[in-house]
Amino acid sequence: MGYIELNVLNQPVAPQQQGALGIDLGTTHSLAAIWKDGRPQVLRVEGESALVPSVVHFPREGAPVVGQAAREQAIAAPKDTLFSIKRFMGRGLGDVQQELATLPYAASETERGLIQLEVHGRKYTPEQLSALVLRKVHETASRALGETAPTRVVVTVPAYFDDTQRQATRDAARLAGLEVLRIVNEPTAASLAYGLDQRDKGVVVVYDLGGGTFDVTVLSIEEGVFRVLSTAGDTHLGGDDFDAALVTLARAEIAAAHGAEVLADAGCQQALRLACERCKIELSSAPRGEIHLVIPERRLAWRREVSREEFEALVAPLVERSMAACRQAMSDAKLAPERIAEVVLVGGSSRIPAVRARVAAFFGRKPHSELNPDEVVALGAAVQAHILVGGKRDILLLDVTPLSLGVETMGGAVSKIIQRNSTVPCSATEGFTTYADDQTGIDFHIVQGERELAADCRSLGRFKLRGIPPMPAGMAKVGVRFHIDADGVLTVTAKEEGSGASASIDVQPMHGLTDAEVEGMLASSFEHAKDDFEARRAADLATEIGTMVHAVEKNLNAARAGLDKESLLDLEEALARAKAAARDRDARALQKARDEFERASLPLAALLMNNVAQKALMGRSLDEV
Amino acid sequence: MEARCTACGAALELPCACKACGALQPLATERDPWTELGFEPGFDLDEALLKKRLLSASRLVHPDFHGADAASRELAEALSARLNRAHAILADEARRADALVVLLGGPDESTSREMPREFLLEVLEWNEVLEEARQARSWSATVESLRDELAVRRHGVLADVRALLAPTPARGDARLQPARAKLNAARYLDRALGELEALRLSATRS
Repeated sequence: MGYIELNVLNQPVAPQQQGALGIDLGTTHSLAAIWKDGRPQVLRVEGESALVPSVVHFPREGAPVVGQAAREQAIAAPKDTLFSIKRFMGRGLGDVQQELATLPYAASETERGLIQLEVHGRKYTPEQLSALVLRKVHETASRALGETAPTRVVVTVPAYFDDTQRQATRDAARLAGLEVLRIVNEPTAASLAYGLDQRDKGVVVVYDLGGGTFDVTVLSIEEGVFRVLSTAGDTHLGGDDFDAALVTLARAEIAAAHGAEVLADAGCQQALRLACERCKIELSSAPRGEIHLVIPERRLAWRREVSREEFEALVAPLVERSMAACRQAMSDAKLAPERIAEVVLVGGSSRIPAVRARVAAFFGRKPHSELNPDEVVALGAAVQAHILVGGKRDILLLDVTPLSLGVETMGGAVSKIIQRNSTVPCSATEGFTTYADDQTGIDFHIVQGERELAADCRSLGRFKLRGIPPMPAGMAKVGVRFHIDADGVLTVTAKEEGSGASASIDVQPMHGLTDAEVEGMLASSFEHAKDDFEARRAADLATEIGTMVHAVEKNLNAARAGLDKESLLDLEEALARAKAAARDRDARALQKARDEFERASLPLAALLMNNVAQKALMGRSLDEV
Repeated sequence: MEARCTACGAALELPCACKACGALQPLATERDPWTELGFEPGFDLDEALLKKRLLSASRLVHPDFHGADAASRELAEALSARLNRAHAILADEARRADALVVLLGGPDESTSREMPREFLLEVLEWNEVLEEARQARSWSATVESLRDELAVRRHGVLADVRALLAPTPARGDARLQPARAKLNAARYLDRALGELEALRLSATRS
């Protein structure tokens, strides 16, 4: 029944604390895996795909719909169905103009610079939307396990995610009621899934081309320690872009043949996008594919054959962008391609033959693709989760921070504090001082990136130091410690050292969600979750009553004569009440009506059973009854 | 005096954690990178042993194995950060030499910016070619030969540094000043080489 998994989400009751889930929170789909019987296993419900589409649909009324059911709403309700949420994680409005140009969403920004997507006049941060996806993944995991799945999780992110994107991911998991043991980089996780520790030593490259992001990671494996030497990537390069290349081609041709207005409608655009995605997938296994678009309401039926050569020419610039990142990673690792022992392919888009061929040519060897590229990251996350709950100590991951960390100096340049590809955890201390007498506060601006000017790097926000003891200018010496933890997330602490008093300095981040905001969202999401749960329970009960009413009405006339008067009266009354209650939306009233109806129908059920038994004794088969 | 584990009293191979009982050691004042990884301070270093020490120490202090409570997780984070920093310094010849000069009481980079005189003249020439390359934003045979020349010079400068620092001089030795000047030259070369590498990568891209 549907209740078990919902209970998990609404009541933070003692979850099963033995294990921990590995969750791949992807741009196009998400899934969970767990360590079981000595190996990582993808959690799938019998007869269903393990992949939960990372899609959220908001019906005009009622609870949000997540996953496959939401994806099916894409064409009918494009503006109420949110895709590619991951592309918005930890981003401001200015960062995602490119995405917004191709997606039919209304967006705005919070005062702290966080993007919000609007549906039916309600605003949702990407964290809240991702939390809905994570809940669905957890619910699916629970159904697959047949019991409440662990709420302790390892969640993966693209290696090239910056601090804000990582924090947003962590907040999303917290909003979903999950305890994040670790944020792990996707390519590193994938290397764990491949069991590459079984080899004695060597350098391995993981090429991870997903739905929306690309990462390449160079690792050295020795005595069970996976040490990342370098990582590079592009958080705006993935399968979505390959689809977009076909969409651009198709749009131009459809506009030429049928006029541009045909595709003005958001539903048509969504239909075209899905048709192009299908064509792309076809082309991975066949030399020719077809974009097939049928929109009956617009009397549009359009077909276009695409050969693999044509597709490859279209996407060649995208493949080359990934190769540029490969060259960067090899350069940072100070290695030539010949030194690479193995190459591993990850991410759905690595199925594209042109991608495989290009990777093979660059590294001079055939890449591994034995494991399902859609599942390998979740499997690796499950291995790391198993390590973190104390189940496995023979493997250790030493990952790096993908981007340099710096402070903006006077004049807008960047003074680097931590270099990119530094092994995490890592920390550095920087001294700050006051420039005016009795100054009690210092503001500074932290950025991530490789560019010389702060304006060209990604802003992690402005920090304020408060509570510096009053003293002459330049006397205060504030030591600010920047620490990037094993999750790749930055914490900033400060200490006044000049006075010797070691006063504690208050550091206020000026970006992202504050803890209070997360708590607030958490509380309101539990409220909503309770509403959602009640609504679902009411719907299930109404359905059940409907089935019972149908069964009773079907049999009542034939069996009427056999029932005693009192039971008959009782049953007819209960039937009328049940029919009335089925229109009710209150779960408790429905439950009561259902229970009474069941009780009243017991004599009828007994009578029917008797008849069946008698007929059986008379040598007639049950089918004839 | 030999350092001992605060939990079990066993002799410590490395100061961050006890190999015998696995206990994390308290976060003392920051040590020099050699002590952190169980070496005697010096320019020459067994790099294979360095890597081995990093891996075995990481197995003891990494936060993966100390997640039970917030306090030990935080200690593991801090100890790992120190370990990684010490390794990063020792793994790079120039950074290692730089740390050694400072450890021995020599001038640091911010107080002594001088470079060897003969080197300065060459810098002027190189800067011209570098500036041209910056403007052209393309990779040419001239730029490539500049890159090769700088790489050869870097190798030479570090050989000179080694000659000054190995065997390890006494505290405040007169050789520390010329070593600093050579290291400043190495730093210039590293920057220029870094810039050329970025140029090469972006030129390959377009």
